[in-house]
Amino acid sequence: MRKIRVLYLLVMVPVVLAPLAAVAQPSGVPPTVKDKAQIEAAVAAQAAPTQQAKPAPAPPAAKKPAAKKAEVKRTEPIVPAYSGIREKMAVIVFYVWLWFSIAVLIYFLRLWIKEADRVYKAKYYEPEESPRKDNPMAPVLGD
Amino acid sequence: MKIDMKKLAAWFDDRLALTPIFKYMTKKEVPQHEHSFWYYTGSSILLFLFIQIVTGIMLALYYQPTLEGATDSIGRIMTELPLGWLIRSVHSWSSTFMIAFVMIHLLAIWFTKSYRKPREATWMTGMMLLVVSMVFGFTGYLLPWDDLSLSATKVGTNIPMAIPVVGKWVTQFLRGGGDVTGDTLTRFYLFHVCILPLVIFAILAVHILLVQKEGMSVPLKDEIAKKKVPALPFWPNFILREVVIWLVLLGVLLTISLAFAPSLELTADLMAPAPEGVKPEWYFLFLFQTLKIFPANMGPVTGEFVAVVLILIAVVAIFFLPFIDNKPEGKKGKLIQYLGVAGLIYAIVFSIWSLL
Amino acid sequence: MRIDNAYFTRRKFLNSILGGWLGAVAASFISPIVKFVWPPYKEPDEVKLVFADYSGMQPGEVKNFAWGSKPGLIKRAPDGSFIAWVGVCTHLDCNVAWLPDKKQFFCACHDGWYDENGTNVSGPPPKPLRRLESSVEGEDLFVRKPGVGAKT
Ligand code: HEM
Ligand code: FES
Repeated sequence: MRKIRVLYLLVMVPVVLAPLAAVAQPSGVPPTVKDKAQIEAAVAAQAAPTQQAKPAPAPPAAKKPAAKKAEVKRTEPIVPAYSGIREKMAVIVFYVWLWFSIAVLIYFLRLWIKEADRVYKAKYYEPEESPRKDNPMAPVLGD
Repeated sequence: MKIDMKKLAAWFDDRLALTPIFKYMTKKEVPQHEHSFWYYTGSSILLFLFIQIVTGIMLALYYQPTLEGATDSIGRIMTELPLGWLIRSVHSWSSTFMIAFVMIHLLAIWFTKSYRKPREATWMTGMMLLVVSMVFGFTGYLLPWDDLSLSATKVGTNIPMAIPVVGKWVTQFLRGGGDVTGDTLTRFYLFHVCILPLVIFAILAVHILLVQKEGMSVPLKDEIAKKKVPALPFWPNFILREVVIWLVLLGVLLTISLAFAPSLELTADLMAPAPEGVKPEWYFLFLFQTLKIFPANMGPVTGEFVAVVLILIAVVAIFFLPFIDNKPEGKKGKLIQYLGVAGLIYAIVFSIWSLL
Repeated sequence: MRIDNAYFTRRKFLNSILGGWLGAVAASFISPIVKFVWPPYKEPDEVKLVFADYSGMQPGEVKNFAWGSKPGLIKRAPDGSFIAWVGVCTHLDCNVAWLPDKKQFFCACHDGWYDENGTNVSGPPPKPLRRLESSVEGEDLFVRKPGVGAKT
């Protein structure tokens, strides 16, 4: 028993924690943007952890001409895309982990379902009895 | 201090009446037959609704519903906040999945005729949920405040105007004035994050209570033959199967959201001409195309008026479908089944047509 | 209890007064709510533009201006006067664009076209673009809703 438990922990801890750790990093899989200014902004944001208070966006200036100068108008759509081998690999690794985990969980769920069905058939299956007889919610639902 | 868990559980049980609820769940049975698969559609919608709420709250932490801030705040979410682009992507894709599953749920119930007596009210609350879900989508579409969403909202909020007298009121209510402005954005945001959630929870509570009250329907032919349909307990046999479906749907959702994250167009300019390719969300396309095929004027009235009235009649008819289809096993019942198929084909063909 | 020859019982009478009163009170609460939710429709009666910005326009040239929260379009006529429209499609409210090469106004939403006089020529728009009046008064170029005379 003890051996199995240790083995279980050895497998499950990395399986669960590794992707979480990867995802938790702000630089996980940042989107890349077409616009140059946007790329620079994104890079700057990555270099400085986002938790640090960012300088507040320039307050709306009273006069229009001033406002126009202050804000750099975006001229291109922001299009998320993966760039570089590192980002692409990260996504593929995540996909593999995701579907592998789903497969594992479904495998165990199926065992559980089979067991539940077996117990039900062995013990409780009484076709004559109406499923709604002595329904405990009846007084609540009023039927 | 050692807490006696058993005592604690008993305390809560006593106060919250948990035992009857659990007992009910084990007593509740879900029939098993060749159409049982559709019983999973309702809970799939619940999964996506839950995801919408979680990701929506996350987005609302940084989104600013103002003319000046809306687009830029979404740009900030996408480029500066950790995995913000993914949160936005999941919110957007999950809305699509939710509406798609609402439609599948509706069609499955249409084709199996589960709306028949005594489930008329379940169907009618369901239609309300469909409308509320679509209004969720419509209001959410404006929030990025980019070129396309602005023009689509102008068109969408103008459609009620086709109806004399009341239409104008509806349009002004939706827009918060005669034109789409910053007030419209504020209003749509309020609808999207406050009013509609309250409404959807209220209706959903009734919907689900009614489903519990009546139990799950059995196929029509078994009901007529008075055949006993084998069933499984809801807890744990059925719920475990639901979990399997949830896991798969979650996987599909994440896979698609990661691969196809939505982009952000340029900030809308109230003074700029409409861009090319203005279109609503995919689930409005067939209605959009329906409006398009009517000519500008049809005799004394506008074509738009005729189209809007026809659409309204169809919606009301579907709302009262259980009463129209009062003899589901007869000839009329068959006809209504074919009408459902025709409606589905119509929606698909018109949606594709609108994209050509 | 009913008084002889009366149409109502006393209870009915009192209940209807109570009900009517409650209804009146409710209406007096609801009407300000309705008024608040439906804001007054505000479109400008007139806008004042700087004539110098438009005086250099060639005949047939079209420029934009702000008509409240909507775009307006202003065109120089061959005789040097100005013609103005609300730059919003009469179909479903999209903003229209002036295409100088085609000499037509175009609405991208559903492919609506208007000729250079603002008349709808093809596509779904049911009516011509809405006309506004314009006049040059000293340094200013006024654009007004039809029927709104010069304010002095
Ligand atoms: C937000 C949208 C909705 C949610 C969350 C929802 C949820 C559910 C759930 C959990 C069930 C029980 C399981 C099942 O039969 O799938 C159910 C059943 C039902 N729903 Fe919905 N539903 C929604 C929309 C609709 C719509 C649009 C209709 C049709 C107009 C509808 C009509 C029904 C009916 C008639 C049943 C009973 C089915 C039976 O007893 O066989 N629902 N719904
Ligand atoms: S809004 Fe201009 S053609 Fe429809």
